[in-house]
Amino acid sequence: MNKIRVGIADLKIARAPAVLVSYGLGSCIGIALVDPYQKIGGLAHVMLPSVTAGSRGGDPLKFADSAVETIVTRMLEAGCARGALLAKMAGGADMFAIAESHQPAGTDPRSDARPRIGERNAHAVRAKLGEMGIPLVAEDVGGNHGRTVELVPATGDLVVRSVRKGCKIL
Amino acid sequence: MTPVALSHRHVDALREFSNIGVGHAATALSQLIGKQVSMRVPKVNLTPFATVPEIVGGAELLVAGIHFRVMGNVTGDILIVFPEESARVLMELLLGKPVSPEEEWSETAASALTEIANILTSSYLNALGKLLGVTLIPSVPALAVDMAGAIIDAALIEQSRAGDLALLIETEFFETARAIRGHFFLLPDPASLRLIFDRIGASRR
Repeated sequence: MNKIRVGIADLKIARAPAVLVSYGLGSCIGIALVDPYQKIGGLAHVMLPSVTAGSRGGDPLKFADSAVETIVTRMLEAGCARGALLAKMAGGADMFAIAESHQPAGTDPRSDARPRIGERNAHAVRAKLGEMGIPLVAEDVGGNHGRTVELVPATGDLVVRSVRKGCKIL
Repeated sequence: MTPVALSHRHVDALREFSNIGVGHAATALSQLIGKQVSMRVPKVNLTPFATVPEIVGGAELLVAGIHFRVMGNVTGDILIVFPEESARVLMELLLGKPVSPEEEWSETAASALTEIANILTSSYLNALGKLLGVTLIPSVPALAVDMAGAIIDAALIEQSRAGDLALLIETEFFETARAIRGHFFLLPDPASLRLIFDRIGASRR
């Protein structure tokens, strides 16, 4: 099977029978869009919530909000119908959550440096999809474990694998 | 300091600077485990984020990663990554009993590994602080055992805010028999680079 790899701050669009895969998501999010009729899928791997959240801009595929816009544009270019698009997402973990919870509240220097970036990423994806009117039909976000995601355009499945939590299909 | 453009002189300076720090860290680890620990010459990489997990063997490799924020006049991230099997060998040496691969990481093993990371990081930051004439303080360490890609994410957040490339100074270290190996990463915040170069004299000429 032809597996197309989606790296960090990357986006790929593919038609069945190809499969899109993104390995080892931590606080990053894999945003998957599918057109179940055309059997076309798009997968992006984003790092940060939005351009405005204390960042200096740069590659739009780094950010949840601009990446959602880019996937939609690219899928329409590939021949998808806007009204057919469905979204799924996975990732947005807080990888070091356990160690942090051992710190007394308010004394952890990390809490200022990184206010749960994974959660904010997930929130930004939901908000942008809502704004664009694209239904988010399934998600597997949060926790403190890494995930590998595989988008299968032929079926619309988003397969989420992890080291300790096993495998689930969204 | 916006989009980091590094001259050869800057790269050499960062490499030398890290070499001294990691040298101290390797000595500390050698003393702790009673085995010779060697290191490679540090590599200074300015690279797309997607390539970072490849340095440690791929985004899906199971690793133990210990992350610190560095605070003080120079800020940044330190990430120490051991392939999971190396981390287990290290634990066996320290705890004096075998750790089976099926076993979940016990509290004792996790805190022992975190302590090793603490020692490595303190030795490294002490040496760097002396060199730069500043005080560098590590945050509390955070340990996670999971896919390398997921662990590396956390250390890339600060850098991803500043630009589209990761600046990382990476050193591979290994025990002579190669049963234990790991990677030590320093990711200086781009805003701290000027101070580093000023203090080590690389900004002249």
